[in-house]
Amino acid sequence: MNIGARRMTKADSEDEAFEALFTSEYARVVGIANRVLADPHEAEDVAQEAFVDFHRLHSAKATYAPAWLYRAAAHTALNRLRSGRRRQRRELAQAAVEGERTMDPQKQAELNEDRRRLREGLARLAPKPALALVLRASGLSYAEVAQALGVGIGQIGTLLRRAEEALRKEVGRGTSD
Amino acid sequence: MAHLTDGTLRRMVDDPDARAGSDAAHLETCSDCKARFGRISEDAHSVATLLAVPAASVDAASAFQKVRGAPAASPRFGIRLPIARVPRRPLMLALVAAIVGVALLGTVVAKDMKTNYSPSTVQTVPVTVADLQALSQLADYGTITWTKQPDLQVATSAGDAASVSGIKPPVVSNLPPNFSTNITYGAMPQAQAVFTFDANKAAAAAAAHGKTLPALPKGMDGAKLTVTAGPAVGEIYGDFNKPSSNANDFNLPQLIVGESAAPSVTSTQVTVPQLENYILQQPGISPELAAAIRSIKHPDRTLVIPIPVKFATSKDVTVQGVQGVALGDNTGVGSGVIWVKNGMVFVVAGSIKQSDALTIANNLK
Repeated sequence: MNIGARRMTKADSEDEAFEALFTSEYARVVGIANRVLADPHEAEDVAQEAFVDFHRLHSAKATYAPAWLYRAAAHTALNRLRSGRRRQRRELAQAAVEGERTMDPQKQAELNEDRRRLREGLARLAPKPALALVLRASGLSYAEVAQALGVGIGQIGTLLRRAEEALRKEVGRGTSD
Repeated sequence: MAHLTDGTLRRMVDDPDARAGSDAAHLETCSDCKARFGRISEDAHSVATLLAVPAASVDAASAFQKVRGAPAASPRFGIRLPIARVPRRPLMLALVAAIVGVALLGTVVAKDMKTNYSPSTVQTVPVTVADLQALSQLADYGTITWTKQPDLQVATSAGDAASVSGIKPPVVSNLPPNFSTNITYGAMPQAQAVFTFDANKAAAAAAAHGKTLPALPKGMDGAKLTVTAGPAVGEIYGDFNKPSSNANDFNLPQLIVGESAAPSVTSTQVTVPQLENYILQQPGISPELAAAIRSIKHPDRTLVIPIPVKFATSKDVTVQGVQGVALGDNTGVGSGVIWVKNGMVFVVAGSIKQSDALTIANNLK
């Protein structure tokens, strides 16, 4: 096989690996960004940006690929939250979690206000606790969060506690009670 | 037994397996830890409730088509100076414009198109944002045809990078102690493009920008410039492939080392003075840049390094026994050294002090 043919085979195989990675991880990566932004459309933008960036510089066969994507999505979404460019108040007001659709309008409005304040607090948190919280809330295991952050698994509980304590103070009066 | 830490108690909220052994026994009997566990559990559930969002419904197949059709993003590593407003156009076109524009200014070999220019030294020239915009617009004055497409590849080993580029990646023999030993290699075989001047396109481009062009030198219409870049290899030191221990360091390389065959430009139909005059007369080119270019004594042996005024500084240094240029950005974020030796251009740059960059450069094997 000549060098050109060998490269072509490698490229094809890399493209296939990237498509497989995309198919298996896209929904989860969107879910992570959506957890931060509470906006599915913007979350898809963030996820696609993460995949494009990843594809440019890394092999889709890399074992760290999912962890890299999870962290990149959370990181970018948090940056967008911090930038204040989004119309967060309006978007959050539109978000209604399953089971809340029949909620008293007054209660729903209070819950939405709490959510808005929580995300304001999230934007102010130190990066690492914020990332840990977002990834864990998105369903990643302690081991997956630790891998994505590059820290020991023993630190995750501490990071989560730090984030939740700070956010609870931000929201002040509590949650949906 | 000491009280349980907040971290341990927090994990117990999520993980039933963590509620075992001596920690679980302590929790059962310690009222203080029980009370803290209650508060930690309540905070965790409250925050989880507020972070809940309706599930996003996605169409992965159509999203994949969108991602696959996305244009190449701008490079995310390397020292990025705040001058990059130029490439509104596709990246490769801007790259060629930069090579055609900047390299041309100092390196065109005229009279004999078969002669290969081979720089043996480097020299800086000051450029402004307006200069770069004017130079990048030169790409609109004709047609670019790739004869060898640029094909940048990421390699996982020095051997792979060498097999792609034909250049053995330089070895850093004195990496500062706190630097990552994780290296990502990049390699590019030689790329070549031919730019053909087109008088009609030049006039249309100038009109679109509301500018009047200097008179086109005789023979310029249809003149062909052949720009050759690479082959090249690069190595990037840093853990940016993996999550770093500090979230603020995400994706930031610590050191970049590059080696490339010097870029070359050959031309037909026009001479060095003609081209130089024409380019330096373009609207937007600063008198400082024009004067600096004209002061270069041996343009056919000099690699011109554009230095963005206000954003970067430079000084001449001796590196590996030859004259080179040390660069620094004015923010103090990074610095680098560039030199030419035996027909190859070398670069060492990163988030390092200029003296460290120079030491690394001098000890490159």
